[in-house]
Amino acid sequence: MSKNSLFDFSYLKYKLNNGLDVILYQDKNLPTVAVNIWYRVGSANETKGKTGFAHLFEHMMFQGSKHIPKEGHFRYVQEAGGTLNGSTSHDRTNYYESLPSNYLELALWLESDRMGFLLPALTQEKLDNQKEVVMNERRQRYENQPYGLSWEILFSNLYSEDHPYHWPTIGWMKDIEKFELEDVKNFFQKYYAPNNASLVIGGNFEIEEAKELVQKYFNEIPSGEEINPIISPEQKLNKSKVITHEDNVQLSRIYLAWHTVKIFEEDDRAIDLLSEILSGGKNSRLNKLLVFDKQIAQDVTAFQYSGKLGGSFIIISTAKPNVNIEDLKNEIFSEIERFVVEGITDEEFLKTKNQIKSSFIYSLQKLNNVVDYLNYYNFHVNEPNYFQSDLNRLEKVTKEDVINVAKKYLTKNFIQLNIIPKK
Amino acid sequence: MINRSQAPSPSGNLDFKLPEIKVLKTINNFDVYFVKKEKLPIVFTNVTCDAGSKFDPIDKKGLAYLTSLVIDEGAGEFNALQLSDEFDKLGSIFSTYIGHDSNDFTLLSLKENFDYSFYLLSKVLTEPHLEQKDFDREKNKLINRILQLKDDASFVASSVFEKIVFKDTFYELPEIGLISTVSNINLDDVIKFYNENIFSNHYKIFVVGNIEEDFLLTTIEKYLSKINPLQPKEISFTKNEKVNAKFYVVDKKESAQSEIIIGHTAKPRNTDDYYPTKVMNAILGGQFSSRINLNLRENKGYTYGASSSFSYYKHSGLFAVHTAVNIENTADAIKEIFNELKGIQTNVKQEEVDFAKSYLIKEFPSKFETYSQVEKIIEQLIFHSLPLDEIKVYQAKIHNVKLDEVLLAANNNIQLDKLSIVVVGDLEKIIPQIKNQFNIEPAILDNEGNKI
Repeated sequence: MSKNSLFDFSYLKYKLNNGLDVILYQDKNLPTVAVNIWYRVGSANETKGKTGFAHLFEHMMFQGSKHIPKEGHFRYVQEAGGTLNGSTSHDRTNYYESLPSNYLELALWLESDRMGFLLPALTQEKLDNQKEVVMNERRQRYENQPYGLSWEILFSNLYSEDHPYHWPTIGWMKDIEKFELEDVKNFFQKYYAPNNASLVIGGNFEIEEAKELVQKYFNEIPSGEEINPIISPEQKLNKSKVITHEDNVQLSRIYLAWHTVKIFEEDDRAIDLLSEILSGGKNSRLNKLLVFDKQIAQDVTAFQYSGKLGGSFIIISTAKPNVNIEDLKNEIFSEIERFVVEGITDEEFLKTKNQIKSSFIYSLQKLNNVVDYLNYYNFHVNEPNYFQSDLNRLEKVTKEDVINVAKKYLTKNFIQLNIIPKK
Repeated sequence: MINRSQAPSPSGNLDFKLPEIKVLKTINNFDVYFVKKEKLPIVFTNVTCDAGSKFDPIDKKGLAYLTSLVIDEGAGEFNALQLSDEFDKLGSIFSTYIGHDSNDFTLLSLKENFDYSFYLLSKVLTEPHLEQKDFDREKNKLINRILQLKDDASFVASSVFEKIVFKDTFYELPEIGLISTVSNINLDDVIKFYNENIFSNHYKIFVVGNIEEDFLLTTIEKYLSKINPLQPKEISFTKNEKVNAKFYVVDKKESAQSEIIIGHTAKPRNTDDYYPTKVMNAILGGQFSSRINLNLRENKGYTYGASSSFSYYKHSGLFAVHTAVNIENTADAIKEIFNELKGIQTNVKQEEVDFAKSYLIKEFPSKFETYSQVEKIIEQLIFHSLPLDEIKVYQAKIHNVKLDEVLLAANNNIQLDKLSIVVVGDLEKIIPQIKNQFNIEPAILDNEGNKI
């Protein structure tokens, strides 16, 4: 597997009989090997009243399995000098570890044990403990953080109640409190099966040896039922809506959110560029206007947040003291209008593309990022080595495309959330 | 079925080469530490100087920080927005960082853009505009930023804790300053700070990148050779021996959690028992499978995470246990932390020592993954006046740590009678718990650490 360019991550991909996707990417110049598994389950697979399940599950996967004691995953990997973690999004849950390259087998032993043999080790006591931990995670990361609840307020208003992006990935507190052991078991049996996962091994290892080890540890794990794709209703706001929420903050902050496109859909990249032009860098449109010239905002950021079942464009800006949030909003809208009329300069456009491209290169420094990209591209476009193509999508976007997506999406109805200081 | 009951053994030994560090000198006597790293077409640069916030006048705390915000608002032939655009066009990322001790100017760039990016960086160092309108804007932003931090429980806990343990020293107040002290700063202060502490400073330059040594040196000299560096200013540190170690509570109404920090000052980095202390802390609270985290998180479920650390400023170390717990469990959590601190002084098992050593030794190669990680390791050695060869003996030094040294390190570096305890959270819920559990009336402080 030789590398033709910086963005060529040649790989070997195959499927085990039980349906597990395996992707091998070799780089023998590294002292490490990384194992990264994506389970195609996220908070979007949850149902009303049982939100937060996918994320709780991520915790339960570190509570030991049939052959590995509680906290054993951490202990074994750390003892070997590795790092490990997992994360949950709307669409997927991932687990990853990076180890010295002579410890590949350990990682596969650990990952296969919790894929195939989690239930025999699952107890009420472990569940009760992790429910407490997750409730504290929710308190620490959301409830006790300034502006920490904004995301869930925004999304539960932007998405209709029957859309799976309506609730936060960590779940509602009242749902977390009610988790039952039986539900946890059912969730595992349905979603944590090899046919619903893809395994990436990256870094310094021998291909044949890795194939044998994958066969040894994963092949005997039986497949689960076939999982039907999630059907989600199309989203459209019939009218714009303003929500005001009081929080323990000093400065008011405005959030504006529009429905856009799903990830990797036609306009996705153009909208990424739009966000950079509006808020990437000191001389971006909104930053220059609000933070630099008028000095009515402390900060401003705009980004496209897109997943498999929906996408949104979000602008967030913190008002300076004594600045009326409606004035801030009006300035944002008039800048967008101005931008649509005046267009983009060549220099501005080139600058923005270069920023995105170099950030992408910088992110390739970490093997954990590279293997996660391989799984990410495999998940969304069924081609792990999509790095160059992803950049080509960026290159193809024209200035007119960016203006057009601004016109097309940012003129629609939107959600406005004002977080204001408690009186 | 295969046998899964035993953890598989590692296959063979690890082939790992430490980076080769070149020490170069520019014609005007700047030290340049260079590692050639090929992997990607990237160069990471850090020009660092002794110009941290410890040089701030006490009533103008935040001066170094504010100077670092104004310094890249226009330089040489570029105004603020043009300068930012020049970096952005190259896809280069320029940042400034202010610590108590030093001031870092960092640059991440593509190899092909290194020359021009470094030129821009040199303009910031040598020809910043430091104009009134930019100063006014950045000062206002900074004051609002400090205002916002009032609601950040973790920041409040850390800064109040440091105010207590570093009382009457130049580490007492946060680098960012207080609203009252930043309000005292005017443009002349910034200009003076720049002239005295940055312009003629004896920079140390750290570069990790996919470039040639000759090219690097030529580039640096091309843009920075006009400076005649002065010797760095000496500043002396006197430890405050009379810290009032006790319970302190900062009120945060209706908080969902209590933010807790417990600790005291510690010896600086360059001490004999650094390695035993590192192993000891790995057992106590330095990683996920440590005693404190397993107890408070995995056993009790009080928290999402709890840790302990020894961190090192130039003149002093700092020992701190840090966690955020469900407010109802505040006193219980503090009691458990006390128990763990006592426990590590009396009882450490050989298997714990072996585990911690294995973890520290084997994770070492992974610390050299990114360009900035490599830079940071070398910079820290120089910062603490350690030999560059330290990275070559690191693993052996960890390996040689014995059980009794770990116990000794716990007893010598954790002083149970000198612990200050800071809790940030809803006072009405916290005070009764502390009274009940410890029979102590905690002192109540505001969020800048002043007595109420």
